[in-house]
Amino acid sequence: MKSPLLRRLVPSILEYFVCMVLAGIVLIPLYLSVVGGFKSSGQLAIDPLGLPNPFLWNQYGDLLLGTVGTFWRSLWNSLFVAGATVFLTLMLCVMAAFALARLPFRGRGLLNTYFMLGLLFPLAVAILPLYLQIRTVGLLDSPWGVVLPQVAFAVPMTVLLLRGFFLSIPQDLEDACAIDGYGPLGFLFYMVLPLSTPILSTTAVLALVSSWNNFFLPLLVFNSENLFTLPLGVMSFQGQHASDWQMILAYLTLVMVPAVALFIAAQRYIVAGLTGGALKG
Amino acid sequence: MKRDQSWRAAAVCLALSLLVPWAASADPIKVTWWNIGTAANDRALNTAFADEYMKAHPNVQIDVTVLENEAFKSKLTTVMQSGSPPDLFQTWGGGVLTEYGKAGLLKDITGPVKGSSWYASQAPGVWQNYSVNGKINAVATDMGAITFWYNKDLLAKVGYKTFPTDWDDFLALVKKLKAAGIVPIALGAGDKWPAMHMWSYIALRLGGGQLFQDTFSGKNTKGFEDPTFIKAGQVLKDLTALKPFQDGFLGATYDDEASLVANGKAAMELMGQWAPNVQKDKTADKMGLGSKLGSAPFPAIKGGKGLVTDVIGGGGGYAVGKNASDAAIDFLKFLTGKENQIRMAETSGIIATAVGAEVGIKDPNAKLVKAIVDKSTFFQLYLDQFLSPAAGGVVNDSVQTILAGTATPAQACAAIQAAYSDK
Amino acid sequence: MMTKRRSKWPLLLLLLGPTFLLFTFFVVVPVIEAAVFSLYKWNGLGPLGDFRGLNNFWTLFQNAVFHKALTNNLAIVFFSLVVEVPLALYLALILGRSRFKFAVLFRTIFFLPYVFSEIISGLLWQFIYHPQRGLVHAFYAAFLPDASVPAVLGNPDTVLAGIMVVIVWKYFGFHMSILIAGLQDIPEELKEAARMDGATESQTTRRIILPLLLPTILISVFFAVVGSFQVFDTIWAMGKGDPVNAAESVVTYLYKFGIQRFNIGYGSAVAVTIFLICLTFSLTYNRLISRVEKR
Repeated sequence: MKSPLLRRLVPSILEYFVCMVLAGIVLIPLYLSVVGGFKSSGQLAIDPLGLPNPFLWNQYGDLLLGTVGTFWRSLWNSLFVAGATVFLTLMLCVMAAFALARLPFRGRGLLNTYFMLGLLFPLAVAILPLYLQIRTVGLLDSPWGVVLPQVAFAVPMTVLLLRGFFLSIPQDLEDACAIDGYGPLGFLFYMVLPLSTPILSTTAVLALVSSWNNFFLPLLVFNSENLFTLPLGVMSFQGQHASDWQMILAYLTLVMVPAVALFIAAQRYIVAGLTGGALKG
Repeated sequence: MKRDQSWRAAAVCLALSLLVPWAASADPIKVTWWNIGTAANDRALNTAFADEYMKAHPNVQIDVTVLENEAFKSKLTTVMQSGSPPDLFQTWGGGVLTEYGKAGLLKDITGPVKGSSWYASQAPGVWQNYSVNGKINAVATDMGAITFWYNKDLLAKVGYKTFPTDWDDFLALVKKLKAAGIVPIALGAGDKWPAMHMWSYIALRLGGGQLFQDTFSGKNTKGFEDPTFIKAGQVLKDLTALKPFQDGFLGATYDDEASLVANGKAAMELMGQWAPNVQKDKTADKMGLGSKLGSAPFPAIKGGKGLVTDVIGGGGGYAVGKNASDAAIDFLKFLTGKENQIRMAETSGIIATAVGAEVGIKDPNAKLVKAIVDKSTFFQLYLDQFLSPAAGGVVNDSVQTILAGTATPAQACAAIQAAYSDK
Repeated sequence: MMTKRRSKWPLLLLLLGPTFLLFTFFVVVPVIEAAVFSLYKWNGLGPLGDFRGLNNFWTLFQNAVFHKALTNNLAIVFFSLVVEVPLALYLALILGRSRFKFAVLFRTIFFLPYVFSEIISGLLWQFIYHPQRGLVHAFYAAFLPDASVPAVLGNPDTVLAGIMVVIVWKYFGFHMSILIAGLQDIPEELKEAARMDGATESQTTRRIILPLLLPTILISVFFAVVGSFQVFDTIWAMGKGDPVNAAESVVTYLYKFGIQRFNIGYGSAVAVTIFLICLTFSLTYNRLISRVEKR
């Protein structure tokens, strides 16, 4: 009875509708966050939902101009730490996941489980031994004291995701590479990596967001304020008994912007159909 | 020959005398100072303190780390556990300081303090709060009291020109406010510690300072299961039954509490000396209640052994880490001297502890609190600070269970006693 | 044959060595040390002392608050599997297609909650749930003026449900992104071929896409379950598991009763217990998967 057009249109409309409703729900907190930064602390206390009145441009302005807080220096520190974390995470985990997925060897399953164990233990409890490890290698008050542990923490999830993806690459491709004279490394660089851009981008973004928002490890490692990353900068607006919530909202909204921008940029590598069929060329 | 030698000797002496200042300035003494002065004015003041001292002592370098309160506590815990404390760091005395002292992580500065005019600059009771086993390990900068902060206008509306001095009158006030549609007491019970102050004061009024002293010294073998403590829980429960708090108080934060009072939505709150400042911040015009804000001690409870001048309060100071140099101790002496405490009182609005520093206190309410502290017949540090972290946590939790009705006062007190006696 | 196997090891060392070393040094060693603490009654200061054997574990198993925490975690697991993952899957299927307009926009919006730091999402949701000033209050004021506004976070009966909404809000975009990445691996030709054979959208989805997406779905489920046991930041930012431990999770319990109370040994015992629970799940799950993959 339904025409083929209707049969295609109705689900589409339903899908768009669901997406719009969900987007609305998701965006409410974002609206509160963005708008809260324009309000006075007094208005925020009495009326968190309404529009700012008076509309205070200077709060975001002060943060961006550097008159209040240390946004740009912290931004640079966060970029460095996140960049180093993502780069090292991808490099190390691609190699490890490749070995765990495509190279048979005795103890492979055991090693795989070994890496997965990191997901199962609440790391909060190991903070003292971790601190002592960082101190032992002399990396306290150094960005590398944050980068290296972050990479280590990212290993379980990243290896799990990458390995899953690498496993699904057909054996024919590997054989084709072997025939062409490429060893395993050649296969990795010329075939596997180009095909893996979606999962590489995804794990890169996950590692980035994790590093970007990490508060406790940088708090522990850094004593010098000029090394502080963005999340630590929020402390400037928190007092012992009360905090400048409107500044915190403004600040944290700004902190989100680079991470979101990087996410959008990464989407380019996660587009359906771009990678085409694995069987092509 | 002789002349040659003397020239050579002179040359060597000259050379050495040129080297000495180099040697002295080659290795500055580093002092690490961790404070929680994140507000812009506090930061500026602390930086000024450090700069002034470094100017007067060029061979000393002070490295300041400024952290927010909760972040500071987290970081300090791990750093203390790693065995290398900073030289000078924020402390609130009580159980946590005691733990650090017992673990040998603090420096004993009793010598430098008692051997100079330093000791006389603050009240003996204050020093006691920052000592562990008789050894002084920290110096106070600020000591206040918890009082009722109330809206004079709202009280006047139901016929009260002054704050009740008696518990029965207080309950009558609460009922009258409720009948008039005003939220009597704002309470951030979600944060737990605001409610803990209430129970503590009721206990103090019922049992007097003697109750607390005997419990902590061990003379009172029942400890927190003493009937007086249980009765305090019952009084609190009875108060709660009148529904004097705002809706959703079990999940409310201290911020909510301050906001309600500041904007005239609730008549009062039981809070420390920082209450007026926090309230001001919660209003659109940053003025808070202004002259409408009054402060009064916790009412006396009829039949109770406590006096209305018994005080529960607390404040902050700086503790000295075990590796601190003499330079660090000297800097601390500089920091807590009368002149600098006056500056602290003026800038941060704290209730400075140094004798004579009250000239820096400008706010009339703050002066009132200082007067209460000075005239106190008994001074008790807030229980959740005074007790060990474990017991303190249980006190907070247990009071919340009384408010929520999930435990009887007897059960709550039993839980506290169990945690307290579990050494 | 023998030469091939021998020459593999230098390569394996190169590929696995760095990761293995870094992971061992910064994760495994600290975790093992922390696990050892669980046998002691120790406040973390000074040398490790006061060996108590399995005492901490007995106390833990009998503690009513821990039981409550465990039940809460199971509730979160259930909720994640029944709401969060299916929602993420549905969205991934819609937004993973190149033909869906504004796909990138929606994907970004849905991923946003994951980018919010905990400090801020806790604060914002407290605004939303605020009984006197929040969105819930506004909703009631507009549509149900006579009903009393529920204080979601202040009421022990509703606080866990309120927090679960936030957990789903925060993580569904995370799962969606993983599933979208998994979708890219499915060759377009297969879908085209099916379409040309006359299959409808839903048939294509059911018969071709879902089976090929299964490995990724299984990974997503794994994260959902394990993540549900490790959840901390969201709950901590929204009331720390209170009032009266109504929303306590095993990790907030660990933090409160172990770390904050300077009861390090006890906290470690909780951690070891969580680890064992997750490990049991992990091993059972893997066995299940290999059986599925063999099919």
